Amino acid sequence: MRPLDIMWVGLGGGAGSLLRWWIGRVVGERYHGGFPLATFLINVSGAFVIGYLSVLFSVDWRDRFGTVLNAGVLTGILGGYTTFSSMQLDAAKLDDAGKRNTAFGYLLLSVAAGLIAAALGAGLARLQG
Amino acid sequence: MINLVILVFVGGAIGAMAREFLMLGVPDLSDGFPMAILVANVVAAFLLGLVTGLHKRRAVSDDVNTMVGTGIMGGLSTFSSFVYGSFVLMSASASAAAVAIVYLLVSLVLGYGAVRLGLKLGQGGAAA
Repeated sequence: MRPLDIMWVGLGGGAGSLLRWWIGRVVGERYHGGFPLATFLINVSGAFVIGYLSVLFSVDWRDRFGTVLNAGVLTGILGGYTTFSSMQLDAAKLDDAGKRNTAFGYLLLSVAAGLIAAALGAGLARLQG
Repeated sequence: MINLVILVFVGGAIGAMAREFLMLGVPDLSDGFPMAILVANVVAAFLLGLVTGLHKRRAVSDDVNTMVGTGIMGGLSTFSSFVYGSFVLMSASASAAAVAIVYLLVSLVLGYGAVRLGLKLGQGGAAA
C-alpha cells in the first residue's frame, strides 16, 4: 500500500459519508414510520454497487488498495457510504422502544436484502461482461 | 450547515483510513474468515454506542456526536464489504459458505452486543 492509497481512501470515505448523511436527511424528512428506512436503503444500494463494480472490473474482494478504484471507490466511497454501526444502533433503539421483533427483523432483513443486492449487482455485471 | 458538512466529511475520511489500517494490521483467518472487517465493524458499533450514550446525557456536544458518530464510526464500519465478502464466500464452496454464515451471525451478535455495551457505558448507568 502506498501513501496515495491512504489519500484516496480518506477522500472516498469522506465523500461516501457525506452522501450517507445527505440521504439520511432527505429520507428522514419524507418518511416518519418506525422502520430505519434510510440506513436500510443506503446499505442495500451500497451492496448492489460493490457487487456490480467488483465483478465489472474483476476485483478480488480481498483487494482493497493499489488502484483508485479499489482504494477510492470500493474501500473509500462505498465503505464510508454504507454503515454497520448505525444499523446496530438502529436495532438497539428499536429494542429500547419495545419493538424487539422489529429490531431483529430489521437486522436479518438488512443482511438478506444486502446479500441479494450484492448477488444482483454481480449478476448484472456478468451479463454486461 | 457547512460546518456539519465538514464534520461529516472529515470524520468519514478518518474512519475509512482507520479501517484501511486495520485491514493491513489484522490478518484474515486461514479459512477466509474476514477478521479485519469484523473487528472494524464491532469496534465501530461499540464506539458509536458509547458516543450516543454520552451525547444522550449531554456529556458530548452535538458537533462531536456528528463528527464521531455519523462521520468516524460510519466511515470505520462498512456494510457493503460485509455482505459482498459473504456473498463471494457463499458462491465459492460449501465449506466457504459455512464460514460466511458463521461470519454473518458472529458479526450481527457481536455488533449488537457491542453497541449495547457502548450505550450502557456512555449513559454511565444513570437514569437511562
